Amino acid sequence: MSEISMPLCWRRETKPHQFCPGCGHGLILKALGMAVDRLQIADKVLFGCDIGCSLLAWDFFNLDTVRTHHGRTVPLIVGAKRVRPELVGIAYMGDGGAYAIGAQHLVNATMRNDKVMVVIVNNTTYAMTGGQLAPTTLPGQKTETSPAGRRTEREGFPLRGPEMLAAIAPPGSYVARGSVSRVRRLARLLEKGLENQLQGRGISVVEALSTCPTNWRTNAEDTWKFLEKEMTDYFPLGEFVSPHDRAGGAPKVNGNSRKGGG
Amino acid sequence: MGKTFTKVKWEGPKGIFIISPDLCKGCGLCIEKCPSQVIDWAMETGVYGTFVVEAKRIDRCTACKICALVCPDAAIDIEKKN
Repeated sequence: MSEISMPLCWRRETKPHQFCPGCGHGLILKALGMAVDRLQIADKVLFGCDIGCSLLAWDFFNLDTVRTHHGRTVPLIVGAKRVRPELVGIAYMGDGGAYAIGAQHLVNATMRNDKVMVVIVNNTTYAMTGGQLAPTTLPGQKTETSPAGRRTEREGFPLRGPEMLAAIAPPGSYVARGSVSRVRRLARLLEKGLENQLQGRGISVVEALSTCPTNWRTNAEDTWKFLEKEMTDYFPLGEFVSPHDRAGGAPKVNGNSRKGGG
Repeated sequence: MGKTFTKVKWEGPKGIFIISPDLCKGCGLCIEKCPSQVIDWAMETGVYGTFVVEAKRIDRCTACKICALVCPDAAIDIEKKN
Protein backbone atom coordinates (compact mmCIF):
# COMPACT_ATOMS: atom_id res chain seq x y z
CA MET A 1 0.00 0.00 0.00
CA SER A 2 1.40 3.33 -0.94
CA GLU A 3 1.47 6.42 1.24
CA ILE A 4 -1.54 8.06 -0.41
CA SER A 5 -3.83 5.05 -0.13
CA MET A 6 -3.06 4.06 3.47
CA PRO A 7 -0.91 6.35 5.65
CA LEU A 8 1.71 4.68 7.84
CA CYS A 9 0.11 5.75 11.13
CA TRP A 10 -3.19 3.98 10.24
CA ARG A 11 -3.81 0.82 12.25
CA ARG A 12 -4.15 -1.86 9.59
CA GLU A 13 -5.63 -4.51 11.91
CA THR A 14 -8.81 -2.46 12.35
CA LYS A 15 -9.45 -2.02 8.63
CA PRO A 16 -11.94 -2.01 6.98
CA HIS A 17 -12.97 0.76 9.37
CA GLN A 18 -16.47 1.12 10.78
CA PHE A 19 -17.63 4.17 8.82
CA CYS A 20 -20.40 3.86 6.21
CA PRO A 21 -19.61 3.48 2.51
CA GLY A 22 -18.71 6.89 1.09
CA CYS A 23 -18.29 8.54 4.49
CA GLY A 24 -15.97 11.54 4.50
CA HIS A 25 -14.42 10.57 7.85
CA GLY A 26 -12.15 8.08 6.07
CA LEU A 27 -10.83 10.82 3.82
CA ILE A 28 -10.32 13.35 6.63
CA LEU A 29 -8.51 10.72 8.71
CA LYS A 30 -6.45 9.87 5.64
CA ALA A 31 -5.47 13.55 5.27
CA LEU A 32 -4.70 13.71 9.00
CA GLY A 33 -2.61 10.53 8.71
CA MET A 34 -0.69 12.02 5.79
CA ALA A 35 0.01 15.19 7.80
CA VAL A 36 1.17 13.20 10.87
CA ASP A 37 3.37 11.00 8.67
CA ARG A 38 4.94 13.98 6.95
CA LEU A 39 5.82 15.71 10.23
CA GLN A 40 6.92 12.36 11.80
CA ILE A 41 5.19 13.10 15.12
CA ALA A 42 3.25 9.83 15.57
CA ASP A 43 5.01 9.13 18.90
CA LYS A 44 3.98 12.50 20.33
CA VAL A 45 0.35 12.77 19.24
CA LEU A 46 -2.58 12.46 21.64
CA PHE A 47 -5.68 11.94 19.52
CA GLY A 48 -9.04 12.65 21.14
CA CYS A 49 -12.34 11.78 19.51
CA ASP A 50 -15.84 12.88 20.40
CA ILE A 51 -19.29 11.33 20.58
CA GLY A 52 -21.04 10.93 17.25
CA CYS A 53 -19.74 9.25 14.15
CA SER A 54 -16.30 10.62 15.02
CA LEU A 55 -16.09 8.15 17.93
CA LEU A 56 -15.64 5.35 15.40
CA ALA A 57 -12.12 6.71 14.95
CA TRP A 58 -11.17 5.37 18.40
CA ASP A 59 -9.21 2.43 16.97
CA PHE A 60 -8.30 4.04 13.68
CA PHE A 61 -4.68 5.05 14.28
CA ASN A 62 -1.54 3.70 15.85
CA LEU A 63 -1.62 6.80 18.04
CA ASP A 64 -2.45 7.32 21.71
CA THR A 65 -6.21 7.78 21.60
CA VAL A 66 -8.78 8.93 24.13
CA ARG A 67 -12.52 9.19 23.64
CA THR A 68 -14.73 11.47 25.65
CA HIS A 69 -18.22 12.93 25.88
CA HIS A 70 -20.24 15.31 23.77
CA GLY A 71 -18.10 18.27 22.76
CA ARG A 72 -15.75 17.82 25.72
CA THR A 73 -12.85 16.66 23.59
CA VAL A 74 -11.42 20.18 23.40
CA PRO A 75 -11.10 20.75 27.20
CA LEU A 76 -9.81 17.20 27.67
CA ILE A 77 -7.05 17.67 25.11
CA VAL A 78 -6.33 21.16 26.47
CA GLY A 79 -5.92 19.68 29.97
CA ALA A 80 -3.58 16.95 28.72
CA LYS A 81 -1.57 19.50 26.76
CA ARG A 82 -1.22 21.76 29.82
CA VAL A 83 0.07 18.87 31.93
CA ARG A 84 2.32 17.46 29.19
CA PRO A 85 3.31 20.36 26.90
CA GLU A 86 5.52 18.09 24.79
CA LEU A 87 2.44 16.25 23.47
CA VAL A 88 0.73 17.19 20.23
CA GLY A 89 -2.99 17.38 21.03
CA ILE A 90 -5.60 16.73 18.34
CA ALA A 91 -9.29 17.07 19.18
CA TYR A 92 -11.37 15.39 16.48
CA MET A 93 -15.09 16.12 16.54
CA GLY A 94 -18.20 16.58 14.44
CA ASP A 95 -20.17 19.74 13.81
CA GLY A 96 -22.75 18.80 16.45
CA GLY A 97 -20.10 18.32 19.14
CA ALA A 98 -18.16 21.42 18.14
CA TYR A 99 -20.87 23.98 17.32
CA ALA A 100 -23.87 22.83 19.35
CA ILE A 101 -23.20 21.04 22.63
CA GLY A 102 -19.49 21.83 22.82
CA ALA A 103 -19.57 25.37 21.43
CA GLN A 104 -18.65 27.01 24.75
CA HIS A 105 -15.52 24.85 25.06
CA LEU A 106 -14.43 25.61 21.53
CA VAL A 107 -15.05 29.35 21.90
CA ASN A 108 -13.25 29.52 25.25
CA ALA A 109 -10.30 27.44 24.06
CA THR A 110 -9.99 29.81 21.08
CA MET A 111 -10.18 32.86 23.40
CA ARG A 112 -7.44 31.39 25.60
CA ASN A 113 -5.41 30.44 22.52
CA ASP A 114 -4.69 26.97 23.87
CA LYS A 115 -1.91 25.16 22.00
CA VAL A 116 -4.01 22.33 20.54
CA MET A 117 -5.46 21.47 17.16
CA VAL A 118 -9.21 21.05 16.71
CA VAL A 119 -10.43 19.18 13.64
CA ILE A 120 -14.15 19.70 12.99
CA VAL A 121 -16.01 17.46 10.56
CA ASN A 122 -18.88 19.34 8.93
CA ASN A 123 -21.35 17.04 7.20
CA THR A 124 -24.41 19.31 7.78
CA THR A 125 -26.22 16.73 9.90
CA TYR A 126 -26.18 14.68 13.11
CA ALA A 127 -25.21 11.50 11.35
CA MET A 128 -24.92 8.86 14.07
CA THR A 129 -28.39 9.46 15.53
CA GLY A 130 -30.10 9.26 12.15
CA GLY A 131 -29.64 12.57 10.38
CA GLN A 132 -31.29 15.30 12.46
CA LEU A 133 -30.99 19.04 11.90
CA ALA A 134 -27.58 20.35 12.94
CA PRO A 135 -26.24 23.92 13.34
CA THR A 136 -24.65 23.53 9.91
CA THR A 137 -27.67 22.17 8.00
CA LEU A 138 -28.11 24.25 4.84
CA PRO A 139 -31.27 26.35 4.25
CA GLY A 140 -33.90 24.16 2.60
CA GLN A 141 -32.00 20.93 3.31
CA LYS A 142 -34.26 18.05 4.33
CA THR A 143 -33.36 16.13 7.48
CA GLU A 144 -35.20 13.79 9.85
CA THR A 145 -36.35 16.73 12.00
CA SER A 146 -36.88 19.19 9.15
CA PRO A 147 -38.80 17.12 6.57
CA ALA A 148 -39.89 20.26 4.70
CA GLY A 149 -36.33 21.59 4.63
CA ARG A 150 -34.60 23.97 7.03
CA ARG A 151 -36.71 27.13 7.42
CA THR A 152 -34.39 30.00 8.23
CA GLU A 153 -37.12 32.09 9.91
CA ARG A 154 -37.59 29.32 12.47
CA GLU A 155 -34.31 27.46 12.73
CA GLY A 156 -31.98 30.26 11.70
CA PHE A 157 -29.10 30.20 9.27
CA PRO A 158 -26.29 27.62 9.31
CA LEU A 159 -23.27 28.50 11.42
CA ARG A 160 -20.02 29.34 9.69
CA GLY A 161 -17.73 28.10 12.45
CA PRO A 162 -14.23 29.06 11.26
CA GLU A 163 -15.40 32.60 10.39
CA MET A 164 -16.88 32.95 13.89
CA LEU A 165 -13.69 31.64 15.55
CA ALA A 166 -11.41 33.72 13.33
CA ALA A 167 -13.24 36.83 14.53
CA ILE A 168 -12.27 36.13 18.16
CA ALA A 169 -8.99 34.30 17.56
CA PRO A 170 -5.95 35.87 19.24
CA PRO A 171 -2.62 36.43 17.44
CA GLY A 172 -0.83 33.21 16.52
CA SER A 173 -3.97 31.18 15.91
CA TYR A 174 -4.60 29.25 12.71
CA VAL A 175 -8.15 28.89 11.36
CA ALA A 176 -8.95 27.20 8.05
CA ARG A 177 -11.58 25.25 6.16
CA GLY A 178 -10.86 22.38 3.78
CA SER A 179 -12.95 19.82 1.97
CA VAL A 180 -12.73 16.09 1.32
CA SER A 181 -13.10 16.82 -2.39
CA ARG A 182 -9.53 18.19 -2.17
CA VAL A 183 -7.72 15.66 0.02
CA ARG A 184 -4.17 16.86 -0.67
CA ARG A 185 -5.12 20.46 0.13
CA LEU A 186 -6.87 19.31 3.31
CA ALA A 187 -3.72 17.39 4.34
CA ARG A 188 -1.67 20.54 3.80
CA LEU A 189 -4.08 22.61 5.96
CA LEU A 190 -3.89 19.99 8.73
CA GLU A 191 -0.11 19.95 8.45
CA LYS A 192 0.00 23.75 8.81
CA GLY A 193 -2.28 23.47 11.84
CA LEU A 194 0.03 20.91 13.43
CA GLU A 195 3.08 23.04 12.63
CA ASN A 196 1.35 25.99 14.31
CA GLN A 197 0.97 23.89 17.44
CA LEU A 198 4.52 22.49 17.27
CA GLN A 199 5.86 26.05 17.13
CA GLY A 200 3.76 26.90 20.20
CA ARG A 201 1.99 29.78 18.46
CA GLY A 202 -1.59 29.07 19.44
CA ILE A 203 -4.78 27.21 18.67
CA SER A 204 -5.37 25.61 15.27
CA VAL A 205 -8.92 25.03 14.09
CA VAL A 206 -9.43 23.20 10.81
CA GLU A 207 -12.97 22.51 9.62
CA ALA A 208 -13.32 19.85 6.94
CA LEU A 209 -16.42 19.70 4.75
CA SER A 210 -17.43 16.05 4.71
CA THR A 211 -19.94 13.71 3.10
CA CYS A 212 -22.75 11.61 4.55
CA PRO A 213 -24.39 9.60 1.75
CA THR A 214 -26.34 7.50 4.27
CA ASN A 215 -28.26 10.41 5.76
CA TRP A 216 -28.28 12.64 2.69
CA ARG A 217 -29.70 9.63 0.83
CA THR A 218 -27.51 10.36 -2.19
CA ASN A 219 -25.61 8.22 -4.66
CA ALA A 220 -21.95 8.89 -5.45
CA GLU A 221 -22.71 11.48 -8.13
CA ASP A 222 -25.14 13.49 -5.99
CA THR A 223 -22.82 13.20 -2.97
CA TRP A 224 -20.00 14.96 -4.80
CA LYS A 225 -22.46 17.47 -6.30
CA PHE A 226 -23.91 18.42 -2.89
CA LEU A 227 -20.44 18.73 -1.36
CA GLU A 228 -18.76 20.62 -4.17
CA LYS A 229 -21.63 22.87 -5.19
CA GLU A 230 -24.13 23.55 -2.42
CA MET A 231 -21.91 23.11 0.63
CA THR A 232 -18.86 24.86 -0.81
CA ASP A 233 -21.05 27.78 -1.96
CA TYR A 234 -22.21 28.38 1.60
CA PHE A 235 -18.97 27.39 3.36
CA PRO A 236 -16.08 28.94 1.41
CA LEU A 237 -12.76 27.10 1.55
CA GLY A 238 -9.54 28.73 2.65
CA GLU A 239 -7.58 30.13 5.57
CA PHE A 240 -9.11 32.80 7.80
CA VAL A 241 -6.99 35.60 9.20
CA SER A 242 -7.62 36.79 12.75
CA PRO A 243 -8.28 40.56 13.03
CA HIS A 244 -5.15 40.77 15.21
CA ASP A 245 -2.97 39.39 12.43
CA ARG A 246 -4.42 41.68 9.77
CA ALA A 247 -2.52 44.75 8.65
CA GLY A 248 -3.60 47.58 10.94
CA GLY A 249 -4.24 45.32 13.94
CA ALA A 250 -7.46 44.56 15.77
CA PRO A 251 -10.48 46.86 15.37
CA LYS A 252 -10.61 49.59 18.00
CA VAL A 253 -13.46 49.29 20.49
CA ASN A 254 -13.95 53.04 20.75
CA GLY A 255 -13.54 53.66 17.04
CA ASN A 256 -15.51 56.02 14.84
CA SER A 257 -18.42 53.64 14.47
CA ARG A 258 -19.39 54.22 18.11
CA LYS A 259 -19.47 58.01 17.90
CA GLY A 260 -22.88 59.49 18.34
CA GLY A 261 -24.40 56.08 18.79
CA GLY A 262 -26.24 57.11 21.94
CA MET B 1 3.89 -6.38 9.03
CA GLY B 2 0.27 -5.94 9.95
CA LYS B 3 -2.80 -7.34 8.32
CA THR B 4 -2.77 -8.19 4.63
CA PHE B 5 -5.68 -7.84 2.24
CA THR B 6 -6.53 -9.76 -0.91
CA LYS B 7 -5.65 -7.93 -4.08
CA VAL B 8 -7.14 -8.02 -7.55
CA LYS B 9 -5.04 -6.46 -10.31
CA TRP B 10 -5.63 -4.96 -13.74
CA GLU B 11 -2.57 -4.11 -15.78
CA GLY B 12 -2.69 -1.21 -18.22
CA PRO B 13 -0.12 0.51 -20.41
CA LYS B 14 0.71 3.21 -17.84
CA GLY B 15 0.00 1.59 -14.51
CA ILE B 16 -1.42 -1.30 -12.51
CA PHE B 17 -4.82 -0.83 -10.84
CA ILE B 18 -5.05 -2.84 -7.60
CA ILE B 19 -8.22 -3.21 -5.54
CA SER B 20 -8.83 -5.05 -2.26
CA PRO B 21 -12.39 -6.45 -2.06
CA ASP B 22 -11.66 -6.89 1.69
CA LEU B 23 -11.71 -3.10 1.99
CA CYS B 24 -14.03 -1.87 -0.79
CA LYS B 25 -17.50 -0.96 0.53
CA GLY B 26 -18.86 0.00 -2.87
CA CYS B 27 -19.48 3.71 -2.33
CA GLY B 28 -18.64 4.56 -5.94
CA LEU B 29 -16.84 7.83 -5.17
CA CYS B 30 -13.88 6.74 -7.33
CA ILE B 31 -16.13 6.07 -10.35
CA GLU B 32 -17.29 9.70 -10.31
CA LYS B 33 -13.82 11.16 -9.73
CA CYS B 34 -11.89 9.21 -12.39
CA PRO B 35 -11.09 11.74 -15.15
CA SER B 36 -10.74 8.98 -17.79
CA GLN B 37 -13.86 6.93 -16.86
CA VAL B 38 -11.71 3.86 -16.28
CA ILE B 39 -13.62 2.52 -13.27
CA ASP B 40 -17.04 0.86 -13.29
CA TRP B 41 -19.12 -1.46 -11.14
CA ALA B 42 -18.07 -5.13 -10.99
CA MET B 43 -20.27 -8.20 -10.51
CA GLU B 44 -18.33 -9.28 -7.38
CA THR B 45 -19.27 -8.19 -3.89
CA GLY B 46 -16.97 -6.79 -1.22
CA VAL B 47 -16.74 -6.67 2.57
CA TYR B 48 -20.24 -5.20 3.10
CA GLY B 49 -21.90 -7.43 0.51
CA THR B 50 -22.13 -4.51 -1.89
CA PHE B 51 -20.78 -4.46 -5.42
CA VAL B 52 -17.12 -3.51 -5.68
CA VAL B 53 -15.53 -1.63 -8.56
CA GLU B 54 -13.21 -2.79 -11.32
CA ALA B 55 -10.98 -1.11 -13.91
CA LYS B 56 -13.21 -1.90 -16.87
CA ARG B 57 -11.37 0.40 -19.32
CA ILE B 58 -7.82 -0.02 -17.99
CA ASP B 59 -6.30 0.91 -21.36
CA ARG B 60 -7.42 4.51 -20.69
CA CYS B 61 -5.82 4.68 -17.21
CA THR B 62 -3.15 7.39 -16.89
CA ALA B 63 -2.12 6.33 -13.34
CA CYS B 64 -3.02 9.77 -11.94
CA LYS B 65 -3.95 8.13 -8.59
CA ILE B 66 -7.03 10.32 -8.00
CA CYS B 67 -9.11 7.17 -7.35
CA ALA B 68 -6.63 6.02 -4.68
CA LEU B 69 -6.69 9.48 -3.10
CA VAL B 70 -10.49 9.78 -2.88
CA CYS B 71 -11.11 6.22 -1.64
CA PRO B 72 -12.20 6.61 2.01
CA ASP B 73 -11.34 2.97 2.71
CA ALA B 74 -7.89 2.93 1.05
CA ALA B 75 -9.05 -0.01 -1.05
CA ILE B 76 -7.40 1.18 -4.27
CA ASP B 77 -3.72 1.29 -5.02
CA ILE B 78 -2.02 2.32 -8.24
CA GLU B 79 1.45 1.20 -9.28
CA LYS B 80 2.84 3.55 -11.86
CA LYS B 81 4.93 2.14 -14.69
CA ASN B 82 8.04 4.03 -15.69
